[in-house]
Amino acid sequence: MSQALDDRSESIRMIRDSAGAVAPRGGDTKRVRALRFTNPGFDKGVFAQMGELGWIGLAVSEDAGGAGLGMSEAVALAEEIGAGLAPEPLIPAMLSARLLAAAEDKALLAPLLEGGKVVLTAWQEKADTLAVPGTSDAPRVFVPMAAGADAFLLPVREGNRIALLALDAAGADVALEKTMDGGNVGTLRADLSRAARVADDIGAVVEQALDEAALATAGHMLGLMEKAFEMTLAYLRTRQQFGRIIGTFQSLQHRAADLKVHIALTRAAVESAAAALDAGATGAVRQAAVSKAKHRAAESGLLVLRQCIQLHGGIGYTDEYDVGMYLRRGMVIANQYGSATLHRRRFMALAPEDVE
Amino acid sequence: MVNIAPRETQDLNLMEDEAFRAHVRQWIEANYPADLRNPPKRLHWDENKPWYFKLAEKGWLCPGWPRQFGGLGLAPAKQIIFTEEIERYGCARTNDHGIVMVGPLLINHGTPAQQEYFLPKILSGEHIWCQGYSEPNAGSDLAALRTEAVLDGDHYIVNGQKIWTTLATDANWCFLLVRTDKNAKKQEGISFLLVDMATPGITVKPIINLEYHDEFCEVFFDNVRVPAKNLVGTPNRGWDMAKALLSFERIYLGSPRLSAYAFTRLRQLAERMGVWDDAAFQETYGKLRLDLEDLKSLYGTFVEKLRRGETLGPDVSMLKIFQTELFQRITDTMLEIAGENAGLLEPMEGNRNLNPTGLYIQARPATIYGGSNEIQRNILSKNVLGLPG
Repeated sequence: MSQALDDRSESIRMIRDSAGAVAPRGGDTKRVRALRFTNPGFDKGVFAQMGELGWIGLAVSEDAGGAGLGMSEAVALAEEIGAGLAPEPLIPAMLSARLLAAAEDKALLAPLLEGGKVVLTAWQEKADTLAVPGTSDAPRVFVPMAAGADAFLLPVREGNRIALLALDAAGADVALEKTMDGGNVGTLRADLSRAARVADDIGAVVEQALDEAALATAGHMLGLMEKAFEMTLAYLRTRQQFGRIIGTFQSLQHRAADLKVHIALTRAAVESAAAALDAGATGAVRQAAVSKAKHRAAESGLLVLRQCIQLHGGIGYTDEYDVGMYLRRGMVIANQYGSATLHRRRFMALAPEDVE
Repeated sequence: MVNIAPRETQDLNLMEDEAFRAHVRQWIEANYPADLRNPPKRLHWDENKPWYFKLAEKGWLCPGWPRQFGGLGLAPAKQIIFTEEIERYGCARTNDHGIVMVGPLLINHGTPAQQEYFLPKILSGEHIWCQGYSEPNAGSDLAALRTEAVLDGDHYIVNGQKIWTTLATDANWCFLLVRTDKNAKKQEGISFLLVDMATPGITVKPIINLEYHDEFCEVFFDNVRVPAKNLVGTPNRGWDMAKALLSFERIYLGSPRLSAYAFTRLRQLAERMGVWDDAAFQETYGKLRLDLEDLKSLYGTFVEKLRRGETLGPDVSMLKIFQTELFQRITDTMLEIAGENAGLLEPMEGNRNLNPTGLYIQARPATIYGGSNEIQRNILSKNVLGLPG
């Protein structure tokens, strides 16, 4: 895992290049639009392709069948996926792969890494949390793209340990709700008597995997911000009103400059957190770094995305024009794996006071 | 004047980074006057010179200058550590225009005679420089400057006025932007002149600012005769050199140190005012803290570029904007929680660390000087985002 820095920038570049296969940076949204509000809301063929490209096991060790890369590559990939608005549940799948690899469970891990099986982790018992109580009879809520799950993983408390169970999605009680971007989330009421045991004590891995998912989601948000802002700049350079290109108006130029600052802050926060995790940060240091990044991404992300609508004017409010798709995706992911407020409070509770 | 002979003989670039950091830290702590840490105002030369001479004696005054010109020749990564340690300890900014502006200008563009004459006098503290850039009608629009220099034999005759000249009352030399061709485009008729402040015809008047401090000055030039050999570089080509020197300022002004300093004072004030545990205050405090942490991360990405020896682009304006506005937001919060103390002229209870009014007022010009934040946004918009002019 410990690679020289140059080596790392090369692997990041390769990951970014490979992302073009699934998420064309040119911005063609035809595929994404066609999948909205369908069942399961994404393309299982594309999910399989993500597996073939090694993305689902990106941060899983090579011994366990993964690519053996780290969070710096994962956030770069998530950014490209965000810029291309790909609806496939890559980040939830990476989370599941992390758990299965730690559990050394080959039966589900291999098909997940290949992209042949969509394995989603139903860990959440309420809105806006990173806590995993593992209550055995609690409905598991907000499972992203649950309509396409082939299997679920469930962390379940047994005494002071968190065990991991697996449940076949066929026949499971899943209530679906549509999301703003055309996808879905599910509430799973699991019949644990049908579940298979995968691991006995996986609590620490779940915490780490959720932190990694939160950070990857911050990267996904960064991709949305960059792409929507790029579209907005292009619009400011061409749209004319009052006989002038609107990008010549100083009030709009200054707003654009401010949004650029927010994007730069987000990139700095996300990439420095990824570097910290790749350097082996654990415990409070890892959590503080992740919270700093996810807080910034949620806060500055929505600011930039809604301002991109404003800078477009009326056309930005239409479904037909693409820029709004970025805001709608942003609304779906802003609070996933913790809202700005949750992460701000966690950071403040953890971060050492840096006082002279 | 000091004897700068016992120069650091060891090449500090060969030290491991952390050993170098410890070496610098130890020396600063042993030599910087404790009562001048984090001074509330920019220090004058009489307050600053003991520290300036300490640095000069040690050979550490000009860490970035090449060794053949009397500097330390530190590699970028080591210079960054050096600066971090100076900032960490809260050392006052010295009268450093000679060090950070004139030195690099002459090293890059000066004649051998200029280098030989001026550089040793910066290193010894004999020459203290001030910067003659802004004018009453050339502030943000610096290239509109009108102070003119007309060639008369082997001298230029300078007439005009400069303003916001920092610590001009302390300086005995001035590096001056003057118009030498009135018919050219405004950026193309500007030259760089080095002027002895003792030359007849120069008048310096301090400007009392909102802090009741006299850091800035006006400087008047009335038929001032400047030897033509004191022109730097090529006549009428001074603008590009001047702009290049300002890039130092933009990364300097983007350093998180001012915001970080104010932030520690915010906590002390909140505790003193009894609002530390207040939930609304904690929300605000947490947001400011994360803004500060993310500024540090962003600053780190620019520092990393310097470390690799790259030149910074116009996107460094982002730092200046965010840092100075964060500094203001922190001090805005201080004023808000200070109650009626917000109106007191002196620090509360005679405690320099409880100084909401002082920091609030000091934070005001940060968004104006060094190219106002509006100008920085223009730069970002045109040179980074490619929006039309």
